[in-house]
Amino acid sequence: MKALIDLIALFAGVFIAFVVQHALPPMADLHGAQVLLVPMVFCYAAVVLPFPAMLAAAFYTGLFSDLFYLHIAGGRVEIPPGVSIIYFVILGCISNGFRSVPEAKRVWIFALLSGVGTSAFLLLQFLMITWHRGGWEWASAAAWRILAPGLMAFLIAPLFHLITSHIDNLVPDFSRKGRAPRR
Amino acid sequence: MNRLNIALVIGLVAVGIYLSTLSSETLVGIKATFMGVLAPFLNTGSAVQQNIGSFGQRLKTLDELEVENTQLRTENQALRAENSLMRETLSENQRLRLALDFRARSPHRLVAARVISRDSSTWWNTIRINRGFEDGVEADQPVLTDIGLVGKTTTVSKNEAIVVLVTDESCRIGARIEGTREQGIVSGVRVQENALEGILRMNFLSKNAEISPGMEVLTAGVAHGSFPQGIVIGKVRDFSRRALDGQATIEPAVDLSAIEDVFVLVGKK
Repeated sequence: MKALIDLIALFAGVFIAFVVQHALPPMADLHGAQVLLVPMVFCYAAVVLPFPAMLAAAFYTGLFSDLFYLHIAGGRVEIPPGVSIIYFVILGCISNGFRSVPEAKRVWIFALLSGVGTSAFLLLQFLMITWHRGGWEWASAAAWRILAPGLMAFLIAPLFHLITSHIDNLVPDFSRKGRAPRR
Repeated sequence: MNRLNIALVIGLVAVGIYLSTLSSETLVGIKATFMGVLAPFLNTGSAVQQNIGSFGQRLKTLDELEVENTQLRTENQALRAENSLMRETLSENQRLRLALDFRARSPHRLVAARVISRDSSTWWNTIRINRGFEDGVEADQPVLTDIGLVGKTTTVSKNEAIVVLVTDESCRIGARIEGTREQGIVSGVRVQENALEGILRMNFLSKNAEISPGMEVLTAGVAHGSFPQGIVIGKVRDFSRRALDGQATIEPAVDLSAIEDVFVLVGKK
């Protein structure tokens, strides 16, 4: 029951994260880098949820990302849908491995995963675009746009963890009652 | 990891691979539906974005405002406000009049549209406009202002369309340089420092071409292309000779960071 509530909360959280990150203007001083919240929200879910629920979250987040970033120009698709689903499944599998880590340590692991996960997602997009368009074009702005959102996610993640953990504690854990030893 | 989990992972990867094989026509439909569902939420977000942007601008000009404030003390506040209001109305009036004149003069059928938002995306330069297939807009139609080319429509939903800007690398335009016989392909740069004020590149020019800064670049109107000939794209900033061809850097004619009203070219009159 708790996992189901968490999963529904994640669905809402990812949706809100998409709307908020869409509304946030690019950071002009960081070469137009964007703040990305979705990989961070997903990473939180992946270190908290049980494995099957994490997979459902990966599918939802991946599909949403695929449709959100679907760029069709001249009848050609730049990043085929499905790529984000596979990416979030891989990121989720790695993140879910840290589920048993004590919460105090998990905050930093979550922050690190958020930072790396965000930058890796942007790097994947950049590589897909490069492969699709052909020719290797690298600029310092590209490095900023890949690394700065990761850094931002790393910095925001502990605060996000603190807030969501507090909210999470307010949700009753029905499974805990069931697991309690009977006397 | 137990067998069920492994099976679930394999199943999801299979779904991912299946989705990646869908045709672009199917994906356009899916994206249009997705856009339609998401539009009310994104529009709310865009309104917030505009407020954040204007707040940032106000912060930036605080020092300037202080200086200006000293100068303005001598002036009558009420008259200034009234004048400013009138000037704003006048400029809007002129802008709309120009737009109307442009539409009347144009040999093409133009659908007026308003820019809803500048999409914040790391790798693509796009805007969203408030016209969709209900207004006769289709994919791959040119979007322009009275000054020049803005881009072309990509995904079109019922009441909205995404426009890929000329500064995006995926927007390729057959172009010619006025006053010469030079033709080439204009496209944006993959990673623009500032996408909305960005620069364009014109490739495949003759190595020995006599091209000088300030020359106007127009659409060539190639057969089966999206763009009719004669739309202003921008002006040549510089020209460089490479091993096999020449490349020109172009400044877009339209200030893409400030556009509010655009026209979608939907056909001939």
